[in-house]
Amino acid sequence: MKQTLITEQKVFEELKKAIIETLRSDEAAIKTESSLIKDLGAESLDFLDINYRLEQTFGIKMARHFILEHIEEMFGEGSAIDENGQLTEKAITLLKLRYGDVYGDLSEGVDMDAVPTLITAGSMTQGVLDLLDTLPDKCTQCGNADWKTEDGIRIKCGSCSAFATFTNGDDLSKDWLTAVQQEKKIF
Amino acid sequence: MLKEIAKRRVVITGAGLVTPLGRNCGETFDKAAQGCSGIDYITAFDTAGLPCRIGGQVDDSWLEGHEGAWQRFPSRGLRLLRTAAREAVGSAGLAEIQRRERIGCAIGFHGDNPSVPDLLLLHRHFDGNALDMHRIAAEGTYPATNFLARKPDVAVSLMATSLDCGGPALSVTSACAAGSQAIGEAFRMIRNGSADVMVAGGGDSQLNFVGFIGFVLIKALSSKYREPQKASRPFDRKRNGFVMSEGAGIVVLEDHDHARARGARIMGEVLGYGASADAYRITDTHPKGLGACIAIRAALDDADLAPDDIQYINAHGTSTTQNDLTETLAVKEVFGTSAKQIPLSSNKSMIGHTIGGAGAIEAILTLVGMERSIMLPTINQEFRDPKCDLDYVPNEARLQAHERALSNSFGFGGQNACLCLGRYHG
Repeated sequence: MKQTLITEQKVFEELKKAIIETLRSDEAAIKTESSLIKDLGAESLDFLDINYRLEQTFGIKMARHFILEHIEEMFGEGSAIDENGQLTEKAITLLKLRYGDVYGDLSEGVDMDAVPTLITAGSMTQGVLDLLDTLPDKCTQCGNADWKTEDGIRIKCGSCSAFATFTNGDDLSKDWLTAVQQEKKIF
Repeated sequence: MLKEIAKRRVVITGAGLVTPLGRNCGETFDKAAQGCSGIDYITAFDTAGLPCRIGGQVDDSWLEGHEGAWQRFPSRGLRLLRTAAREAVGSAGLAEIQRRERIGCAIGFHGDNPSVPDLLLLHRHFDGNALDMHRIAAEGTYPATNFLARKPDVAVSLMATSLDCGGPALSVTSACAAGSQAIGEAFRMIRNGSADVMVAGGGDSQLNFVGFIGFVLIKALSSKYREPQKASRPFDRKRNGFVMSEGAGIVVLEDHDHARARGARIMGEVLGYGASADAYRITDTHPKGLGACIAIRAALDDADLAPDDIQYINAHGTSTTQNDLTETLAVKEVFGTSAKQIPLSSNKSMIGHTIGGAGAIEAILTLVGMERSIMLPTINQEFRDPKCDLDYVPNEARLQAHERALSNSFGFGGQNACLCLGRYHG
């Protein structure tokens, strides 16, 4: 369900902390539109580090695979990336459906190697919010619908104090792709 | 005098291999020439729940035991090194050399990882804040030799001790470049007169839970494969990470005159060596392969050769997206328009990645290939990557004479080494 306990602002603040701890960036330099690679100098290992910090902070499990990999796996080789290593039109349609304007610059024929540079602080914030929105209606431990948060970061059951559990990032991507495919028959 | 020393030729008079493909040089080369894969599901430890469950294991029955100086160190990596060394020093007739202080050792090895039982034992004595050292000492449950087996420098000590080599001893820990770098540095030691003979090479076994899991966490390993044998696919568009293996390669390098004087069989020559650092990032290679270019050019310069003199390249070719692309770019940068005419293949497509062993194993396979006029294939070439457009000797070995070759090794963290090797002509 769409949750309202943790605000977008709070997620962005925590992401900034994770970026500062990992990349030693200047806080003022981190804007929602900042590309982690191009503007903040992140390398591949840094994404693992930042994701790990976000997972610890919010009690979530970030996706280990980018959505393009899931598309290839679910809809066949070549469905997202053509033999020249470029994004297919269908992959771009799906990226835009999933991430909206965050990937506004994308057009057909973009090289897949360019995609990681499109990851911004804003798109990562949205990724965390999407996972938080998988909050179940009721506590999986005691069955009550009484979610609350004390620190604005971790969601707990007001009845039994169990921490909320969320769908893991890879499953969320796959569920979303299945639903979109059923509705729009892209492939 | 200095000039004379600088001209010393360094030849290879012995070689030993133990790899997932075979228990010695001949068996490994023959299997590789048939395009066989040594990769399968890992049985050495429980891989349940891991995204990668495959690797290149060496058959345990092929390995040396733990006698003599090695007895206290029942480590898999050390057993691999010892097995390869036995073949190498046997074929070189190292035992007959009198002046033992003129024989040195240079070994690429990274030490054993702590084992899961080690960690469990320590955990039992951990109270949440600190380890109860009194209890550990009182129970005497943590063997002191564990500490030694974890040290990367123990390999060269054991090698020198067991083979009675009193010359310079060098431990090399430059990750995937270690085996090449050990041979390269040993080559220089002979060339500059520090030793007449060097036992050089490398080996590692990271096929244990603690060693493996680190590579899983950084997502370096292939996790998308239909069958284990298809997972290592260097330069192919569907490559998605490397395959971890274990193995070792050891050569005996020798001053040319020294080798001739004792009538040793000479299997090839080291012509040059170059090393460099990307000085860029820890987990990413330089996007244009700058460090790789520096190492390749340095090896050519050292050998006094021009790019056109090279007829084959043994690629680092790990099967990761990054390495294979940047290695291709580096070769194009150094060799220009001739790059596409030089066959370049990756032994890792069949053997997987043996880390500290890789450079030494690949140098030996390159030498045997020159002797037999066979270029080993890069297997699993099915989907052409438009950015990887060189001649990778796809899928089948090629019968083609070649006299001079390069063997590339580009280590994690941007540590690069390149060996220039030649077929021996009196």
